[in-house]
Amino acid sequence: MPELDVNGTRLFYQQSGTGPDVVLVHAVTSNQAVWMFAGLVDALTEHYRVTSYDLRGHGASDRPKSGYTSAAMASDFAELHKGLGLGPAVLLGHSFGGVVSMHAAVEFPEAVRGVILSDSFFPGLKHIEPNFGKMTIWNDLRDTFAKVGVDLGDTVDFTRLFRTTASLSAENYKTLEDIYGAFGRGWLRQLPQLAETNCGDEVLEVAGLTEERISGITRPVIALYDEFSPFLATCEWLKQHLAACSVEIIPNAKHLALVENTPAFTDAVLRHLKTITEG
Amino acid sequence: MKDQILNDLDAVVAETWPDRDFPPVDLESKAFADLGLASIDLVVLAERLEKRYAKKLPFGAFLKTLRDRGADDVSIGDLVTFLERHA
Repeated sequence: MPELDVNGTRLFYQQSGTGPDVVLVHAVTSNQAVWMFAGLVDALTEHYRVTSYDLRGHGASDRPKSGYTSAAMASDFAELHKGLGLGPAVLLGHSFGGVVSMHAAVEFPEAVRGVILSDSFFPGLKHIEPNFGKMTIWNDLRDTFAKVGVDLGDTVDFTRLFRTTASLSAENYKTLEDIYGAFGRGWLRQLPQLAETNCGDEVLEVAGLTEERISGITRPVIALYDEFSPFLATCEWLKQHLAACSVEIIPNAKHLALVENTPAFTDAVLRHLKTITEG
Repeated sequence: MKDQILNDLDAVVAETWPDRDFPPVDLESKAFADLGLASIDLVVLAERLEKRYAKKLPFGAFLKTLRDRGADDVSIGDLVTFLERHA
């Protein structure tokens, strides 16, 4: 299994294709399989060398107790980048993966050619984002967990989600497994494992990625936000404050455009990658 | 051919997860529901199968096809057919 030890943590990665480097950075509670299942890896490898990896604590990577801030994970990226001998890469980050990517653009600009964000919320921009905590996807989760008599609360709280899942009875866990189905079972399985870590709290820390530092990013940034995203205020802020930011709205999606509207998402990524790498 | 690939698959699964107890696998078995695999396990399995057959296999396209047709699991029969074609 391809893996690399970065910052004392073993990260599982996959690499395929040839061409300019593209690195795929998934969201909290996800893993790199999401890119493969959507067919995005195959779509990109015709033109790019694509590296995807599991963030620490996720997928097949190690699960240390701490190191889950965007700063720590940007450092993981930089070490992975160095260890694999990649050239300046375009980072495609979904949700928190976009935060890690932007943090990498701040701290390790030599490793980052550009960033494509997908529906990211930035803890450092919480004050301009009225919809944090009111995410539809969280409401969906809350409603589903309510079916087994569990209250997740009204506001996004990953730690509560992880600990709640870890303390579910076998019967309630099985009920949720049946609700989420075969494809969602792996996602559910990961939640109690993350309860053993500080991930839930640390991913919501500003961790140095302040408003000022985000606005200082000079690398090209493509902000792909979903039509029904809870974070459209963030999208507008990025467009107004970044030196080189283009915005595109992905229709018929509410936070998971990669899955909810795969053709439009893939098309947008391919077009913008071409612009960044040939521009 | 099918039997050989099924045997290969059985061996790779056993090698990849020696600490897991899998039920007997046949063409009707489901990767998630019956074997208890998760999506990331399929990424690992894909990598192991590529190593066994010493070639790159278009797993992404295979999985996307399944998703597009609304499949809620990956049957071992589908996987064997895919491997017959590409391995």
